[in-house]
Amino acid sequence: MLLSTLLILIALLALAVPVAAGLGVLGLTLSAIYSKLPLSLAMGEISWATSNNFLLVAIPFFVLLGEILLRSGMAERMYNALVLWIPWLPGGLMHSNIAACAMFAATSGSSVATAATIGTVAMGEIEKRGYSERLFLGTIAAGGTLGILIPPSINMIVYGVLTDTSIPKLYLAGVIPGLVLASLFSLTVLMICSIWPRLGGQPTSANWSARWRALPDLIPPLVIFLAVIGSIYAGWATATEAAALGVIAALGVAAVRRRLTFAVLLLAFEGTMRTTAMIMAIVIAAYFLNFVITSIGLTGQVNAFITGLGLSPIQLLFAVVVFYFILGMFMETLSMMVATVPIIAPSCSKPASIPSGSACSLLS
Amino acid sequence: MRQLTRWGLWFGGALILLAALLIGVDVLLRKFLARSIGGADELSGYALAIGSAWGLGAALIERAHIRIDSLYLWFPRWLRSALDLAGLLLLVGFFALVAWHGSGVVLQSWTSGSRSQSDLQTPTVVPQLLWIAGLILFVLVGLHLLLAALTGLRAGDLASVARLIGTRSAEEEVDEEIQALKDLKSAGPS
Repeated sequence: MLLSTLLILIALLALAVPVAAGLGVLGLTLSAIYSKLPLSLAMGEISWATSNNFLLVAIPFFVLLGEILLRSGMAERMYNALVLWIPWLPGGLMHSNIAACAMFAATSGSSVATAATIGTVAMGEIEKRGYSERLFLGTIAAGGTLGILIPPSINMIVYGVLTDTSIPKLYLAGVIPGLVLASLFSLTVLMICSIWPRLGGQPTSANWSARWRALPDLIPPLVIFLAVIGSIYAGWATATEAAALGVIAALGVAAVRRRLTFAVLLLAFEGTMRTTAMIMAIVIAAYFLNFVITSIGLTGQVNAFITGLGLSPIQLLFAVVVFYFILGMFMETLSMMVATVPIIAPSCSKPASIPSGSACSLLS
Repeated sequence: MRQLTRWGLWFGGALILLAALLIGVDVLLRKFLARSIGGADELSGYALAIGSAWGLGAALIERAHIRIDSLYLWFPRWLRSALDLAGLLLLVGFFALVAWHGSGVVLQSWTSGSRSQSDLQTPTVVPQLLWIAGLILFVLVGLHLLLAALTGLRAGDLASVARLIGTRSAEEEVDEEIQALKDLKSAGPS
């Protein structure tokens, strides 16, 4: 049962069937083969219950937050401030890229949003200062992966909902790996640019008065971070409520910068709902698949299989990391997580597997 | 059709924004005035359900539904078009089934006159009807795309099929993203 499930899943996804359809069709197929009752009868209830799940409301909030920030000019100013503050290391602006990504990640729940926002701001500097294009873009792509690792994180919300894990705890679990990863990125750039100084571009210079003047530009990201993360740990708000506060803070930032127009809002709506619908389609299908997998007793089989391997927790964790490392070369993070978590997570039940999953996909 | 789905996005986005404002105000009231509007969580749940159902069609037209294209990109064009069609058929088929069973849920809410178990006592059939309407719109958009793609296929125009229902390349996506930002910058104040 386990083998055929995996084979059907791999076949569907490898043939570029949309991930949502792949998960759903896998569920229907498994139900047809292994279940006496047609489990599709529960589809209506499951879809409705998933669709209006309050925890998942955080997803459109985070996307909307990102869409508004993207158009508010906040990222641009933040980046320019960071450029003034971190110019002296070998590799120059590339450290600013990573720092900006880490900082933006602390306000945004998405990797794509992080990479796109910082990327559009930073791209012009490649030619201006003679950076190696590949290395420069590499720092942005790598920095983008911090988006889902450093809280808040859409992927963590989906993971938390699918596995009944506390989202604030998942957030906490992401902070240190996120910072470690950011430092490692910087260290890599530092080493490469020490060996081949040519790749590092021309150094920028900055005086202290300019630095101090730019410092207020770092305040908006801080405000949003406090709204989205601080309010959770201060005990004011749940994860979803914190995301709503984040949206309001982002509206405030955009309004202060005079970027909050009707046209901007409509554009933000379009981007938000397109992404939300795409994610929700996958989540609904995953919920249905989850239900089928539990009903036909596959979860027990996977459990027995993994217990049968006789691995210690560390070995198991290592196996999970290797698994996601390989999978991450082919698959986009969210779909990878949603497709595998219903099968794997009950047996490992480790929040650690999600940071490792996202960390590995960055090497794809 | 494209304009209709765009309206769907605006409608859903407005619902989500309202939900965010409602919840935000609720949190602040609770914190500082120790009172609550009540029902913000329930209403925002409906906003998510309705908004995502109404966004599905636009996501389909704009090819935003994620597909894994690691292998796909190596295939010859005719095979890719065949997979595009099969993928579209499965996606629309699956959600047609969801819509079918979903309408069963709506019908049951209607006949039993069920209300939500909360202070609001929302008649559940109201949000559910809006939800199912979005799903039906998605199925119609899907059939429309399917017809258009089949027409292209019969004319032997595989390029147009790819533009309609193929996967979006990463470059295409980045270009659009940058273009959108540029448009905005030239239009708005800096």
